[in-house]
Amino acid sequence: MANLSVNLCGITLKNPVIGASGTVGFGREFNELYDIGTVGGISTKGLTNEPRLGNPTPRIAESRGVILNAVGLQNPGVEHFIEHDLAWLKSTGTAVIANVAGKTLDDYRAICERLDGLVDMVELNISCPNVKSGGMAFGIKPQSVEEVAKIAKSALTKTPLMVKLSPNVESIATNAKAAENGGVDAISLINTLTGMAIDIERRRPIIANNTGGVSGAGIKPIAVRMVYEAAQAVKIPVVGMGGITCAEDAIEFLMAGATAVQVGTANFTDPYAMPKIIKGLNEWCDRHGVENVSELTGVLTLNQR
Amino acid sequence: MKDYLATIVENKKIANGVYSITFRVDEDVQVRCGQFGEIAVGGSHLLRRPIAICKVEGKHITFCYQVKGEGTQKLKEMSAGAQLNVLMPLGNGFFVEESEQKVALVGGGVGIFPLISVLRQYRGEKQISSYMGFRNKAAVCMLSELSKANKSVVVSDDGSYGAKMNAVQAFEADLAAGNRPDVVLACGPMPMLRALKQVAEREGLTCFVSLEERMGCGIGACLVCVCAMTNGANARVCKDGPVFNAKSVEL
Repeated sequence: MANLSVNLCGITLKNPVIGASGTVGFGREFNELYDIGTVGGISTKGLTNEPRLGNPTPRIAESRGVILNAVGLQNPGVEHFIEHDLAWLKSTGTAVIANVAGKTLDDYRAICERLDGLVDMVELNISCPNVKSGGMAFGIKPQSVEEVAKIAKSALTKTPLMVKLSPNVESIATNAKAAENGGVDAISLINTLTGMAIDIERRRPIIANNTGGVSGAGIKPIAVRMVYEAAQAVKIPVVGMGGITCAEDAIEFLMAGATAVQVGTANFTDPYAMPKIIKGLNEWCDRHGVENVSELTGVLTLNQR
Repeated sequence: MKDYLATIVENKKIANGVYSITFRVDEDVQVRCGQFGEIAVGGSHLLRRPIAICKVEGKHITFCYQVKGEGTQKLKEMSAGAQLNVLMPLGNGFFVEESEQKVALVGGGVGIFPLISVLRQYRGEKQISSYMGFRNKAAVCMLSELSKANKSVVVSDDGSYGAKMNAVQAFEADLAAGNRPDVVLACGPMPMLRALKQVAEREGLTCFVSLEERMGCGIGACLVCVCAMTNGANARVCKDGPVFNAKSVEL
């Protein structure tokens, strides 16, 4: 039995596997299938100050090896989460990571102040490609990444802050550095890549929002490359995600420089994906004589060219 | 709800473009009529296919599906003996109250399959009248199952099988003839459900509809398959539905 626990900016995760925001809700539904407390952490559905209804349907489409989604941040609002889900989710023993989004800098400040000290970590969603205002607007330019990071950080005195980076940018390394300059404790990446899928019979995009965020197995090499570049650019911990389906995928991200990983789309393909990945990590470490999974972080050596 | 490794026992064509697939699993599955399963077709298809459960006989579960895209095409090509993951049973299903004795089933096209499961669960116990509409004669299927209803009307859009009308018109005609049900259960294309909802409102009938939507997780976590409720909120088709009281949802 390898030691799978990792330290993510002061928070101990029992293993490096986190359910990615938007794919696992607040953990209740997957807990009907297995004990969600066995997962390292849960990043909640993106929370806003007020409840949101999200986009019209269809909100999802499929393309070979990937899916596209445009849910549009439907959520019951941060107060509802605090009142109805937070205590339960904490009681399961998983680390509670509140994913938060806003339209304005004041929104981000307010929601961070509200959650300070209540959750294990806050993950700033500045990279949602599926809402018209806010979201990704903050995630593109390095200056605005730094600005929103600073404001969120100043609102959090007790809880560590992670910022989730968009891959739809000029330089992932520059934006990672900008987040670090803004004072965040960790970065997570990649959020979805903006894409489109067309129903050729109707000559219209399948998704009501026209475009959607692309995720799933097919984006993994892009995500691994970006995690590597971001990890090279910063000293703070990196949480990697993008197409992780099995333990071997997760290990690629760890080797590229990630301290922990998030699993998203794979939860739809196989609802037991996360427990299987955790089991697989343990077995891989045992087979390779790795005592602590944390030893794998950043061990990648580039080929000589 | 459980993810079963299910073995295909039979996968056969039952109408034009429509197939019936029967799986065997390692234990008896308790399924309520109107519930569905998420079938993993594998390969480069990351999403499962949400398909209505049509028949349950102990360890044998039958789903019927229309071949529409790459995923169902792949499913169609699978043979007996192959194993697939099936997450089931999902959703709320249809409930008929004890006080509701006369049940009308109104189905269109592949929407008939969840209603076949209602028929199988309640026949003998309730007075069931079935009104099923198909595009044409080549699309007609499940006649032996339908014949077990107390009354079965089968119609087609082009008149090539039964009267030339749709299922809602067939239901309305019988209603006008004095056959008034205590509850109406329906599944089919959205225009059909909209028309039926209007009839139910006009006639003061209780009506439940089973909805279809593109799904992600299938268990209520991802908020992909929502429908708008008349109270302004969203409901999850996979978890809060797929069966809703027609007056509670915007169609």
